[in-house]
Amino acid sequence: MATVTSTPDLLHDTLPDGSAPVKDSYLSNSRGFISWAFTLDHKRIGVMYLVGVMSAFFLGGVLALGIRWHLWAPEGALLMQTDAVGEATSNNDLYNQFFTLHGAIMVFLFIIPSIPAALGNFLVPVMLGAKDVAFPRLNLCSFYLWVGGAVFFLLALLTNGLDTGWTFYTPYSTTTDTSVIAATFGAFVLGFSSIFTGLNFIVTVNTMRPPGMTWFRMPLFLWATYSTSIIQVLATPVLGITLLLLIAERVIHIGIFDPAYNGDPVTFQHFFWFYSHPAVYIMILPALGIISELISVHSHKGIFGYRFIALSSVAIALLSFLVWAHHMFTSGMSEVATVIFSALTFTVSVPTAIKMFNWLATLYKGSISLNTPMCYALAFMFLFAIGGLTGLFLGTLSTDLHLHDTYFVVAHFHYVMMGGTLVAFLGGLFHWWPKMTGKMFNDLWGRISALVVFVGFNLTFFPQFIMGSRGMPRRYATYDPEFQYLHQWSTIGAFLLGVGLLIAAVVLFASLWRGRRAPMNPWGGATLEWHCSSPPPYYNFARPPIVGDPYNFDTVKYDPRIDGYYLTEPDHFADEDDHH
Amino acid sequence: MFPIGNNALMTAQWNLPLWADVNSSFWFPKQASTFAPQVDWLFDVILWVCIVFFFIVVGCMTWFAIRYRAAKGEPAKSRVRHNTLLELSWSVLPSFLLVFMFVQGALDYLVIVRPPEGAYEIQVTAFKWGWSFTYPGGIVVPEMHVVKNTPTRLVLRSQDVLHSLFVPAFRVKKDCVPGRFNTMWFNPSESNPEGEHFDLFCTEYCGKDHSMMKTKVVVHETQAEFDAWLAEAEKPRSDETPESYGQRIYETRGCKGCHSIDGTPRTGPSFLALYGRNEKLIDESEVPVDENYIRESILEPKAKVVAGYQPVMPSYKGQLKDFQVDGLIAYLKSLKGS
Repeated sequence: MATVTSTPDLLHDTLPDGSAPVKDSYLSNSRGFISWAFTLDHKRIGVMYLVGVMSAFFLGGVLALGIRWHLWAPEGALLMQTDAVGEATSNNDLYNQFFTLHGAIMVFLFIIPSIPAALGNFLVPVMLGAKDVAFPRLNLCSFYLWVGGAVFFLLALLTNGLDTGWTFYTPYSTTTDTSVIAATFGAFVLGFSSIFTGLNFIVTVNTMRPPGMTWFRMPLFLWATYSTSIIQVLATPVLGITLLLLIAERVIHIGIFDPAYNGDPVTFQHFFWFYSHPAVYIMILPALGIISELISVHSHKGIFGYRFIALSSVAIALLSFLVWAHHMFTSGMSEVATVIFSALTFTVSVPTAIKMFNWLATLYKGSISLNTPMCYALAFMFLFAIGGLTGLFLGTLSTDLHLHDTYFVVAHFHYVMMGGTLVAFLGGLFHWWPKMTGKMFNDLWGRISALVVFVGFNLTFFPQFIMGSRGMPRRYATYDPEFQYLHQWSTIGAFLLGVGLLIAAVVLFASLWRGRRAPMNPWGGATLEWHCSSPPPYYNFARPPIVGDPYNFDTVKYDPRIDGYYLTEPDHFADEDDHH
Repeated sequence: MFPIGNNALMTAQWNLPLWADVNSSFWFPKQASTFAPQVDWLFDVILWVCIVFFFIVVGCMTWFAIRYRAAKGEPAKSRVRHNTLLELSWSVLPSFLLVFMFVQGALDYLVIVRPPEGAYEIQVTAFKWGWSFTYPGGIVVPEMHVVKNTPTRLVLRSQDVLHSLFVPAFRVKKDCVPGRFNTMWFNPSESNPEGEHFDLFCTEYCGKDHSMMKTKVVVHETQAEFDAWLAEAEKPRSDETPESYGQRIYETRGCKGCHSIDGTPRTGPSFLALYGRNEKLIDESEVPVDENYIRESILEPKAKVVAGYQPVMPSYKGQLKDFQVDGLIAYLKSLKGS
């Protein structure tokens, strides 16, 4: 029986008190711009994605603050113009471009690629004990497609703007004179980036699992990523078709969406949501996977109800294809279709609730560490509970007729997309940051950032539920004074949220210069990424280890000298066992 | 599919009036249609279900996080990772609540979308960025006036892009889709005191002045009151000059969206100092802007299109009456510029 670096003494050789660096890590094995730009290493591609999506998030966030600032006053406060008689009035065109680009950038450039492409790229092969993804060149290609798509979006932003809303509804999008074609082409290219990443992960998970890792011994983050990839591969081509048809409609008037040429605008909505509703689950499923990991690791207790959680990810992925028309209950669809889509919509809430209850059961009688990733995970559960539950009001037909296209919907999807996905992304980023960078961040300030984000988030978006049910429509540049105090709470909250995110960014950046060296296993995780050094070597694992239960914490022990954990059982290898 | 009468909403008695009454002021605007109490009631039921589940989840989470917080390295106190009965229960039992929400929501929906026979009918046209309501007899007004306790059906159309008609006090909403008719109905249960009104919003994003695309809903107490209003609705008020009447037409009948009065060219030419000028047309000819040209451009907008603009203006033939066109001409004459 051969053993590798897994006794405390050996650990100390590779986990010193801040002196000896990890030799030949993926960060240090080669240097220079070219070594990054043409890298095939999934970890470096993951890091490049991380830089890219965080830049997009920053841009989208600045636009969001602009929107909230403008809405400080009923007649507008920030995006103003001077009219003929010299009075400042709301520049509605500019406001419309702000919310359009905020939505489009956040959806297409940030949320969809955030977890799968940035964290997923880094983690999927490491969690599988593999050296890389199945198709490393395709992986690099998908990163450059993302860059290309982002460039088209920025072109749209810098040339003529875009004012269609991120949904590109016809016939507005076929008649506006803003840069619809540049933006839709950008989204089209981004779609291919997403498809390639999904395809890569499906093949990787199917063919490269290490010995012993059966489907039901996969870490739940892999189940979530796998389910997400299925949606990416099956749904995204429909977006591509839709956007090409939209461009064709604008350029050669084929008459499919535009009633001026005998088209039907509602057809566009069916096409668009057939992709974009499953895309909602592309955004949230990986987040649910992260939370399953975080709750289990930081409770130091095996995840409760593993099979239910794993299969509920698959169930959500499949059901996500059957609910698209719940975005269209007021569009004039037939009664039968409307009632059926309402019923199907409710089915999605079952697998989501299952996950929530299983996380609670995992916390029960755990050994809970309230460190930064766990604080984000608990904030996620609070916010996602509200986001999920408020979906019930929108799935119910009679209440949806009142709430549709009001701020209630805005609040609902921000609780799910931002309170859910973004908070889980941040939790995951803090959780895997020591693994990615080899540095520990300041945990106290990390927890403060989680608290400020949590308070700021609720202050921003909870008032929007009240505004919405009182009748405030969304996408309004100006509004009735009766809504002003709620808008002002929301604006104050948004800036507080911005401060929280800024603290989080400073904490992470500061760790790069000032953080102590991360131990191999700072949190006590049992999945394979905690079996290799922080940061991992270029090839992750020399050989894939034999894998058992990914949530067996009996073999993980704390060592206060390194403020980290070590594995009491050595890794076993298939070829070693053969010799015995 | 679910055969229940239209008056089910009015006759159904629910035993939870307290919740609805207490909360409707916090969550909702005034209840002004027969749909409103039922929609608000179901909203409140779902709200309480949500509150209960939210406090179970967040309560347990907080309690566990405090109670089971432990020093690093301490093992978990339990190793239980599976309990089929428990897992099946929390998967299946809440589903009954979901079924209730779905069924009640769908039943109410089928009432809300099925207008009763003989409802009073108003034709609604949505355009960038305003509304026009055509009443029987061809009277066109930019506000919606209806009668209390009179089921009213709206036939919706759009002249350009998607719009959506939303009256929060009535709890109803429907999209206006170009190229097809949509219908909606409601039965107002509250009238407005003199001078007050309910809001009507556009809730489907439609471009620049989407947020300005709102108008008034006035619910008259009696049919007689409504009839008296309708008889006077289109005519100039006694305190109006021809110019100010024309200005009212300009602002409420959709001119404003495309024609500025400050010289800024929009979808159409600005009205500033337009009267009396010579305009160059797309066929290179010139035409003086006089009464006849203005009248023709309103009724036959594609006949003489000014160079540099698209022939996109809809015809107002049958929409605007002669005295309204006269008012507009008077208004245009008054916009002399400096």
